[in-house]
Amino acid sequence: MADFSQKRFLVIDDQPLARDALRTIAQTVGAFAVEFASNYQDAIYRIRNNTPDIILCDYVLGEGRSGQQLLEELRRFNLLPDECIFMMVTGEQAYEQVVSAVELVPDDYIIKPFSPDKLLLRLERIVAKKNFFAAYYKEKRQQEYARALAILNAQRDSEAGRPYRFEILRQEAEVQLASGDAEAAEASYRNILDNYEFPWARAGVARSLHKQNRLTEARDEIERVVAGTPHFFDASDIKANICMAQGEHAEAQKVLDEVSKKTPRNYLRKRLLAEAATLNGDMETARAALADVVANDTMPGAVTTEDRLSLARSHIDKGDKISAEKVLVGLRDSEIMVLGLDGQASFAALLAISSVDKGKPRFAGLRPALLASELEPATRLDVMRAALSLTDNDLADRHAEHLMASPDAKKVFSAIRSQYALHGRENDFREIQRQVALKRIHHDDVPAAGPG
Amino acid sequence: MDKLLDILASGIHDAKNQMFVAESLIAATEAQHGIALGEARYAIEAAADRLSRTLAAYRLLRHSATPAVTPVIVSDLCAEVALAQKSHLARQNIELTVDCPLADEWPLDRDLVGDMLNNAVQNAGRFARRAVLLSARRDGDGLVLAVEDDGPGFASLPPAAGVGLTVAERLALLHVRQGRQGSLRLDNSSSLGGARFELRLP
Repeated sequence: MADFSQKRFLVIDDQPLARDALRTIAQTVGAFAVEFASNYQDAIYRIRNNTPDIILCDYVLGEGRSGQQLLEELRRFNLLPDECIFMMVTGEQAYEQVVSAVELVPDDYIIKPFSPDKLLLRLERIVAKKNFFAAYYKEKRQQEYARALAILNAQRDSEAGRPYRFEILRQEAEVQLASGDAEAAEASYRNILDNYEFPWARAGVARSLHKQNRLTEARDEIERVVAGTPHFFDASDIKANICMAQGEHAEAQKVLDEVSKKTPRNYLRKRLLAEAATLNGDMETARAALADVVANDTMPGAVTTEDRLSLARSHIDKGDKISAEKVLVGLRDSEIMVLGLDGQASFAALLAISSVDKGKPRFAGLRPALLASELEPATRLDVMRAALSLTDNDLADRHAEHLMASPDAKKVFSAIRSQYALHGRENDFREIQRQVALKRIHHDDVPAAGPG
Repeated sequence: MDKLLDILASGIHDAKNQMFVAESLIAATEAQHGIALGEARYAIEAAADRLSRTLAAYRLLRHSATPAVTPVIVSDLCAEVALAQKSHLARQNIELTVDCPLADEWPLDRDLVGDMLNNAVQNAGRFARRAVLLSARRDGDGLVLAVEDDGPGFASLPPAAGVGLTVAERLALLHVRQGRQGSLRLDNSSSLGGARFELRLP
């Protein structure tokens, strides 16, 4: 029997009566101390300050928030150590539908009403499972992926591993994906699907295929998941990402528009919506989504300098250079200093576009680095746009050509074309397109991706 | 969206929350005064199960419901049924024996299958003389969960279908794996001499 008498519990519920009931049950199983959180923010605050041993979280938290959302946010900010137990508490079976579909799940969930004995039984099983995976968690946390996989491999066929076969396969696939071995991850997820058609495993196949740039297959797989489990919202995010990579920006935005309405306070999804809307040329939706993120994503550190750069970019896209400039000059030097070259380049480029006087010197100062370095696709686009508006054609063409030859070509093709058109350089754009195609014929090693 | 379903679900949700408050108060009283009020808690949980089952029945009969399948450790599932039913049966001098040596995970809807087994054990307890047996075993590529008793057996076969049975039958069929479907069988082939409830899952 596991001993819970030294454990600290945190009970999260917006209903006072239900909160008291959970506390009573926790005390009956011998909890050392029981803390309360009455809402989402309060819960995050308490968990950040002093991580409890066991979290009992009601699925319905009020104010449009759910326990599942809280769980996702805690994982996103790395606030849930593997040793901490997260138990979802729910009054109705609906949450089971969520758990059976999604990739990110709590340690367990329990349906009200339940007895102290039942909670105890469930907690003891979680402890046993965490003990079983303890060595693996440690390697995974330190990103020692090869060692983590070796542990799973040894455990898979062990007698002690019998109750955890699916979990071992699932962890294996996740580590393979995290370590960049998308082909192995795909095989692992398919291995799970050979056993049972779990939506999360099918979504894993789609993500693995996307990483391998096998976009048509990835799209087919994720369409199956979205159609079969409409409440699996993350699957819509995966679909949108694949659509964008395929250059189908309108479809990506449509998918995210729909699912964002159902999850209005998921700000990672809002950021993704802004990205899709931008690519789709719907500048107002992009701007509104980013303004919502910057104003309301209340986790400390959640709104990054990159988010503010995105907001400035969306203002420029809408033709509102004054608002863009306001956002950019509102950034502190200390915030810009800590950005990598990509962030600094985007900042200089966006400032040069919105205010030539303020931005041009900084942009010119970065020029040698911009010619010589590898940059993210979004940064290259910013640099290309600034270069076009400052008629630095060499710099613009270099980045345009690089983007068109990259695996992201489909994603950014229409953005590049419209920028060249905006500056009356359609013919130059077609010439770049021709050069890229020629080079591809001469060098088979260039990644095969392009508009079409 | 089905308005009626939403209303029913939310009403049942609220009722179960209230029941949870009641159960926690009873549990606190038990701890405080060192008394056993397990039967009161059992009655509350049985009522809550009944509400859930009613909602599940509505979903299954009126909508194209899909089971929520997760990998479930079979011996754990049986242990939870035993935890819920054993002491209640013991008060009626009926011994519930559990024979579930399967430590493996099986893809199934834990709450709905658990409810089905609880219901089957309750039914068996109503007719048993002294013993009820809950067992789990692999049979080929399927899982067989059975509840048997030493009572008189079903008077007629197939037995008249109540809510629990109707739901159980639907649920069994909804468990589909690689083209194979679950099934339910009720007969008088109990190894204890009475009725036997058998749920087969692919």
